[in-house]
Amino acid sequence: MSEHVAGKAEKKRGSRFWASIVLFALAGILLAVSIGGYILRGSASTRANLDRMRTSAVLHTATEGLVDNIAQEARSEKLKELRADKNFRKRGLDEVNSICDAAMEEARAEAEKLYSNPVVEDEAALESAIENMEGVLSTSGKLEDKEHAVYGEIYLDLVDNISAWTEVAAPDMDDDAIIAALASTAPALLDEDNAHLKPGFVKLAKDLAANQQAALDAEMQGQSVSMMTGAIADWAEFSGLEGDALWEKLIGEVPELEESERFKDALLEAAKTHIAAAESGETVPEAAASEEGAETVSETQVNYSYFIPSEELAKDIQNNEDAFEALDTQLVKIIPDLCELTGKLQDSLRTNLEKVLWPGSLDFTTLYNTYMARKAGGVLSGGASTALKLASLAETLLLASIALLLLGLVLFFWDSLTRRFGVPRTIIALFFIYLCLLAEQYNISVRMMLGNVLERMTMYGVLVLAMMPGIQCGIGLNMGMTIGCISGLLGIVLSLQFNMTGFGALLFACASGAVISLPLGWAYSKLLNRMKGNEMTISTYVGFSFVSLMCIGWMMLPFNNPKIIWLLSGRGLRVTHSLLGSFAHLLDNFLSFKVFGINVPTGGLLFLGVCCGMMWLFSRSRTGIAMTAAGSNPRFAEASGINVNRMRTVGTVLSTMIAAVGIVIYSQAFGYAQLYTAPRQLGFIASSAILIGGATVSKAKVSHVLIGVFLFEGVLVFGQQIANSVVAGGGLSEVMRIMISNGIILYALTQSGGGRRD
Amino acid sequence: MANEFVLEMNHITKVYGSNAVLKDVTLRIRPGEIHALLGENGAGKSTLMNVLFGMPVIHTTGGFEGEVVFDGEPVSIASPMDAMSKGIGMVHQEFMLIPGFSVTDNIKLNREITKPWPVSRLLGKDLEFLDTKAMSADARRALDAVGMSIEEYTLVSGLPIGHMQFIEIAREIDKSGMKLLVFDEPTAVLTESEAQQLLDVMKKIAAQGIAIIFITHRLDEVMDAADTITILRDGTLVTTLPKAETTAEKLAGLMIGRGSEGVIHVDKTDREITGGTAMSIRDLWVSMPGEVDRGVNLDVREGEILGIGGLAGQGKIGIPNGIMGLYEARGEVTFNGQKLPLGDADAVLRAGLAMVSEDRRGVGLLLDQSIEDNIVFTAMQVHGDFLKGFLKQKDSGAIRRHAEEMIKELDIRCTSPTQPVGTLSGGNQQKVCVARALTMNPKFLFVSEPTRGIDIGAKQLVLETLVKLNREKNMTIVMVSSELQELRSICDRIAIVAEGKVVDILRAEDSDTAFGLAMSGKRAKEGELA
Repeated sequence: MSEHVAGKAEKKRGSRFWASIVLFALAGILLAVSIGGYILRGSASTRANLDRMRTSAVLHTATEGLVDNIAQEARSEKLKELRADKNFRKRGLDEVNSICDAAMEEARAEAEKLYSNPVVEDEAALESAIENMEGVLSTSGKLEDKEHAVYGEIYLDLVDNISAWTEVAAPDMDDDAIIAALASTAPALLDEDNAHLKPGFVKLAKDLAANQQAALDAEMQGQSVSMMTGAIADWAEFSGLEGDALWEKLIGEVPELEESERFKDALLEAAKTHIAAAESGETVPEAAASEEGAETVSETQVNYSYFIPSEELAKDIQNNEDAFEALDTQLVKIIPDLCELTGKLQDSLRTNLEKVLWPGSLDFTTLYNTYMARKAGGVLSGGASTALKLASLAETLLLASIALLLLGLVLFFWDSLTRRFGVPRTIIALFFIYLCLLAEQYNISVRMMLGNVLERMTMYGVLVLAMMPGIQCGIGLNMGMTIGCISGLLGIVLSLQFNMTGFGALLFACASGAVISLPLGWAYSKLLNRMKGNEMTISTYVGFSFVSLMCIGWMMLPFNNPKIIWLLSGRGLRVTHSLLGSFAHLLDNFLSFKVFGINVPTGGLLFLGVCCGMMWLFSRSRTGIAMTAAGSNPRFAEASGINVNRMRTVGTVLSTMIAAVGIVIYSQAFGYAQLYTAPRQLGFIASSAILIGGATVSKAKVSHVLIGVFLFEGVLVFGQQIANSVVAGGGLSEVMRIMISNGIILYALTQSGGGRRD
Repeated sequence: MANEFVLEMNHITKVYGSNAVLKDVTLRIRPGEIHALLGENGAGKSTLMNVLFGMPVIHTTGGFEGEVVFDGEPVSIASPMDAMSKGIGMVHQEFMLIPGFSVTDNIKLNREITKPWPVSRLLGKDLEFLDTKAMSADARRALDAVGMSIEEYTLVSGLPIGHMQFIEIAREIDKSGMKLLVFDEPTAVLTESEAQQLLDVMKKIAAQGIAIIFITHRLDEVMDAADTITILRDGTLVTTLPKAETTAEKLAGLMIGRGSEGVIHVDKTDREITGGTAMSIRDLWVSMPGEVDRGVNLDVREGEILGIGGLAGQGKIGIPNGIMGLYEARGEVTFNGQKLPLGDADAVLRAGLAMVSEDRRGVGLLLDQSIEDNIVFTAMQVHGDFLKGFLKQKDSGAIRRHAEEMIKELDIRCTSPTQPVGTLSGGNQQKVCVARALTMNPKFLFVSEPTRGIDIGAKQLVLETLVKLNREKNMTIVMVSSELQELRSICDRIAIVAEGKVVDILRAEDSDTAFGLAMSGKRAKEGELA
């Protein structure tokens, strides 16, 4: 029988070998073609052809606007004609539309015929005008991109980190004071090179402060009104009073109102409504106040309306103006009708031309694709057209050949790879490499995303680590880690309740979270010990139901700091708590530095390292070794005199406590603490991460945690970016996250023999 | 004229891999006779029956050699279903009954009697009604035949175990054309009176002309019911003889046999065990799945190697497992004058006992961990050895040194001390288990089935190691084994366990008959041992 199996395996290995050879061959062919494409790019004739395409694209763009204009005019002409007709009302809307559209198409066809072959008399002049325009655009474009980037960075720094705009830009502050206040958050603002940006940011700060003040005022006003209406029972007493007299009496009744004199008008208005209602015997409906009063600034989108170009850029823009003027002159010479374009159309023509001549870079492929989109392919002969197409595909082909080569290598070494890393880890790592290649293809910055991955590693690392003792002690994937997460969230909310800030708050949140999770984890482990064999089901149920229980809990707990409770009802915690004032990004920014443009969150990584190190030390101690044995073979452990239940309790409690610390770290990296149903999915994310790292439901090591969190977050971050650039709309990445994480868990469960590789 | 034999299995040879489990075995059964098939565990009885029933395990491992003649015609039986259709039935050791069904339903399962109605005439036989009356009548007849007075419409779920056995039999004899019935240890779960009733039923069935193959360990039942007796030993046919020509004692002797020489020879001359009692076991009850001890009494002398033998499932393995706290146990066990707390593995290990478990892969090893970690595990947990430093971290250096020493001493074949034990061969895994027990520096060692599933060379080494430990370190060793030869080759005394009790304590040189009788639960009387 074994021979039979061995024969089958042999056969499989053979087919894998041949498949890899075929892949190598394909990769070789693609590589050769791609090199050919690169050589073509260098050749003068290709360059000349590309220039011809450019000219054609420019002319096409110019006529396109004109043709559109003519067609539109024909359409409105027709519509006017129809309107004049007395039968107009009898015709249906559809009929009118179709008649007009037909007229428009006709006019368009005619116009296209008219302009399709513009006669270029002075080709050299046009060429040089285009060349000049392209040159100017490319320098000013680059400069603009650069300045936009600097602006964006400062903008995000400010908007992310400043919550109290009214303090940064108080009405009594002059511009310099505002700059000084802003610079304390974004020191880059003080750079000599960025001086031109200052007025813009001052305006931004003032606008935001005004917004915030308005929102605050609205909220305060609402509160004053509800305080007044709440305090006064009998409105009939006020009947007949008006103006100051009414105000006096109101203050007499509710002395606190004196502080709200700013809202006197609104208060009087409200009082009058109530008086009128009391007289007529009606009830006044409670005014619906908005919960989150303040208008929030978008966190990720940079608003460029406050951008001010530097002198150099302004000069470039002026140059740009001149170059366009020259080009326009040439174009008008060829197509005289262009001067008939109105101002708005003129602008749009200019934008379109700029897009053609400066599509973001002067990369061959980009240029080629841009020109092709402008129907410039027609000017080329068949052979030249193929050559250019090939040249434009060179990069894609190179990437494809690298991908095939990698795939071939993986297939070639499949046996040793899967033996060493296991099938899922190999596939995910492969997927990750593939995503990196794709990112290159879609011109997404790999560096930036690596920085992103690092950030998310610090965010999820400790949570994933929490899975480890659970797996080691034999309860499998601890989906009930949400118990720990909720304890940690309680710790955070407590720190907010006492208005703590800085490292003190972080430490307090961790410590109190861990302390709260201790008895909870203990009780939870007792439950699990009674349910041996069904831990996964039980822990999932417990995790979910504890979240639901705490949905009630968050409402009932006697927190009373107005910063964290619902303002209107005066009780119950809000869903999302910004940690900006307390310890958001505190660890991540600690000692953080930039290398190769990657932002390294040193503090967070250090903390994760320390946690992993402690876990490693624990797993080498007597108790840790006993716990691992109790998990992987309870009968063996029993035979060695180990109390298996006690070890399971140790593991479960440890897992729960680490989860409590983990959620605090997660929240500090995220910047917000989210209560209610937010922690529900964390167990799934952490499980799939550690499983990708190579752990099974019965065996886990520290290395599995680190590899897993890197691969999982890597695939997510890259996948998200790429999915978003391939398919518009943000929903796809979330779908992908769920698919990957749940798929991995499923796979692990089918393999739950655990670690067996034979 | 009817054939002389209903079944002939001629010159059957079956090889698993390189291991011949049946060697040229011939079995011939006459119609209407009760033919007892005897043999120790592993003698080849089950394999022979698997061949008869065409079990998949036979076909997937390369088939067998020899010829099966049923009812005068050579047949090739492809599957149990095939066997059944030819008229060969089996009464299983584990009951194959559906608890929620009535007795009738169980008896007629998949052979229901149906009657047609118009719809079924149109749409086929699957839609016919059950003819409950006819089915009840059939069931009644079958129940009467096995002497059961219970109503045929009662549900099986509430019935006592003995009754279920009879329903199984009733089901088999209800099948028309049944010519041969196999009873695989049918009395194992029955009370004495039920067993007697079963034997009566068997005789009744045989009287109707159905041949019976009766597999059992109980020699007195054989002497009571069987007409002819075939004895297998180590896959070979010892003899076939009519009952009249033999006695229980002779059968016992034939079953055990001197057979081949033991794997090792140990010089036991001038062995005088002078030490006092190291451990005394009084009224030990242990319950573990498939092994029940019902009041074991045993004394182990200091410095001896005591063997515990007996057939599978009789309770020999329960003794070490119960004392070491692996299974629920009650009774009184004193070790060196101190009472051992039963069920507390830690305390027992601390007292200086150690055990090499029979369930090597289940209890004995952490399969995915390294050799060195396995070796030091228990010592580290119980005595706190191999730990260092303020944080009580494991002392890798000391562990490596000790593991290498053990690997050398026990000749564990491995690539390095860090190799996962799951990748070792059975024999080397067993050596790791022994090494782990030795690392505890025990005064008293239980070794349970130390040679199960390992090759002959490793067997030899394991047994030699045990003798060496006993002689050089004066370690008291209790070895539990199904291999009587091994027990006889190294043990000073051998206790035979049957039906949960120690039946007899014998010396290695005692007769085969004495061992055979003890194994079937009877103590040899002085006079009978001729």
